[in-house]
Amino acid sequence: MNFVIEHLSKRFELKTVLRDIDFTFQEGKIYGLLGRNGAGKTTLFNCLNRDMKADGGTFYLEEDGVRRDVAAEDIGYVLSTPTVPEFLTGREFLKFFLDINRASIQSPKSLDEYFDWMSIAPEDRDKLLKDYSHGMKNKMQMLVNIIAQPKILLLDEPLTSLDVVVAEEMKQLLRSLKDGRITLFSTHILDLALDLCDEIVLLSHGTLEVVEKSNLDDREFKERIIAALKEETYA
Amino acid sequence: MLNTLRLSFSLKNTYRVNSILYSLRQIPLLKSLLPAALYQVRGLKIFANVLSLLWELVSIFLFKALYFLAMVWGLGLLYQNVPSPLSFLHILLFLTLIGSYMNTSLFVPTRDKYYAMILLRMNARSYTLVHYGYALLKTVVGFLPFTLLLGLERGVPLWLCLLLPFCVAGAKLSVAAYSLRDYEKNGSVHKENKLQKLVWLLTGVLLVLAYLPPALGFVLPLAVSAGLFLIWIPAGLVSLRQVVNFRYYREINQELLSQVPTQMDSAKKATKAASEKAISADTSITSQKVGFEYLNELFIQRHRKILWRSSLRIAGICAVLCCGVLLLMELLPEAKANIHQSGMTWLPYFAFILYFINRGTGFTQALFMNCDHSLLTYSFYKQPGSILKLFQIRLREIMKINAVPALVLGVGLVLILYASGGTDNPLNYVVLLASILSMSLFFSIHYLTLYYLLQPYTAGTEMKSGTYRIAMVLTYVVCYLMMDLRLPLLVFGVACIVFCVLYSMVACILVYKFAPQTFRLRT
Repeated sequence: MNFVIEHLSKRFELKTVLRDIDFTFQEGKIYGLLGRNGAGKTTLFNCLNRDMKADGGTFYLEEDGVRRDVAAEDIGYVLSTPTVPEFLTGREFLKFFLDINRASIQSPKSLDEYFDWMSIAPEDRDKLLKDYSHGMKNKMQMLVNIIAQPKILLLDEPLTSLDVVVAEEMKQLLRSLKDGRITLFSTHILDLALDLCDEIVLLSHGTLEVVEKSNLDDREFKERIIAALKEETYA
Repeated sequence: MLNTLRLSFSLKNTYRVNSILYSLRQIPLLKSLLPAALYQVRGLKIFANVLSLLWELVSIFLFKALYFLAMVWGLGLLYQNVPSPLSFLHILLFLTLIGSYMNTSLFVPTRDKYYAMILLRMNARSYTLVHYGYALLKTVVGFLPFTLLLGLERGVPLWLCLLLPFCVAGAKLSVAAYSLRDYEKNGSVHKENKLQKLVWLLTGVLLVLAYLPPALGFVLPLAVSAGLFLIWIPAGLVSLRQVVNFRYYREINQELLSQVPTQMDSAKKATKAASEKAISADTSITSQKVGFEYLNELFIQRHRKILWRSSLRIAGICAVLCCGVLLLMELLPEAKANIHQSGMTWLPYFAFILYFINRGTGFTQALFMNCDHSLLTYSFYKQPGSILKLFQIRLREIMKINAVPALVLGVGLVLILYASGGTDNPLNYVVLLASILSMSLFFSIHYLTLYYLLQPYTAGTEMKSGTYRIAMVLTYVVCYLMMDLRLPLLVFGVACIVFCVLYSMVACILVYKFAPQTFRLRT
């Protein structure tokens, strides 16, 4: 399966943020999306998630050579600030989600199995989500986004402000989930991107480009990425 | 000092001009006409500067005009038993005392002070003195026309009218000097935005002293009130020395302004906290339903306090008021004719009443803050089928919530009409009840439709739609204008029912057609 973007463009008044992007993402890989502040990472995600209308271009999935449109259920989008419905308990939110998506979830598990999978303690499962910690909210958001097994997982700085234990749990989880889908992970932390991602993609001057590691060692690779990012002067 | 004056005014003006330009961009039609590089356009800047200057003039004169017309002169007109110049001076004296510590301008934390003294590190003493001097000048210049105009009209001697603004400025200066001395001695900063309980108590006492004695026929004699005013002029002159020579302006401003950065987003935090507080912590609330009905039932149950409880309370108040009118007619049969005539022509008035009692805005706000704000970030929730299904459920709920007070009000009005003499045409009763219910239906659909079609909030719960704001204001204005409309019950009632039914149909069609595209988080 490939996720193909063709001629995607978006401008805000005078500023062109996405400039005729052509890119193909491949199944089974985690892509680390790097870019300067204001480079347009969130705009790209918003366009792909159809929260924002792109000015031009298209994107589609290619499975066994057959091209098809990206449906809403194909995309899971995890925001940096976790958003969960505060008036529900963790268990109620999960039940509601499973009710709605029953048809599309293959071999559903019990609610407690899902909570165990995400290491959410039994005493927290029946608390209102408004009383959850930042890390727990983040886990709930991630859980709901991955249960339905979306083909494309967009992660906008999802590990920022998590404690080291939860961050490590999340990294493990993402690695275990990468097969059969395309994971696009935006971050400002270069070491995290190098540690977790299979490919580094730069969003620079409104276009996407892969930074080839070829035969460079880690330090040289980092220097190449930073040098490429520095080229974008007006960030 | 002169340089500080120039710099600080240019800073304040830039801040104000940019605020005006930003506001212009929020107006829907203007937004597309105005260029992106708005803040660089010379013509627009000149226009905003003119507005800024006008605002400065308004702040000098308009507020003082309102203060004088309402608090001093207007209320003074009520006291017929005391000599008018004396009641004027009596009230003004006590209000001046309150203003001397409640409206200092020296001890109030504002953003422009924060920008100038903390962020830009301007000299705190020069900045404070320049601004304080300007504030006192505004007091004198702003007060003078009104002490002259209204004071003379009330018979206060001319010489006193001329001196009164200086007395007011003197009182402010004296309190400022006292507060600064207090800081030197005890290290405590007078904070105008955080007054102590004792100060509020003092304000209450002074307000009573201002307004109660004249009502009882007692006012301070001219010599006493004039003396108590004039004493502030020498006191102010002495205090001026203290204010000018004070050395710790940076310290007091740093303490005063320490809360400003957090205050800037405290309004947003307060809205969020208030929304979360509306969620019931009752763990016994559960639901046996499935899917969207499950979500809806839990939402309604956990928000009972702001939805059903307030609706039932309003219904109770309506019932009591209707019973009161029925009782009044029983006790005072001669009132029946008037009430009957009102009942037959005042139906448009109830559009405004129903506007006030409907829970539409409270419902949509709670929906967004506690539910949609988060769920709209999930793709399953944004699918057209999900959006429309939930719209149906929510419409049913808000219609039920609004229908209860409307039904009580409608039945009450029917009973009042019947008891006040009835009507030959029984259709009047039916139309009366049906029109009240259809108005309730209208408001239920109206707010929910606006919410679904214009969804005005961003993920950060910031309201970003000028069109939504305008629609809200228009709703208010139209309902307000209805109050002046007097039409026969049957005519207005039938027109109202037809309009509400048509509007509801159109609104539902629009939602079905467009909501799947429009019901999104704003970016």
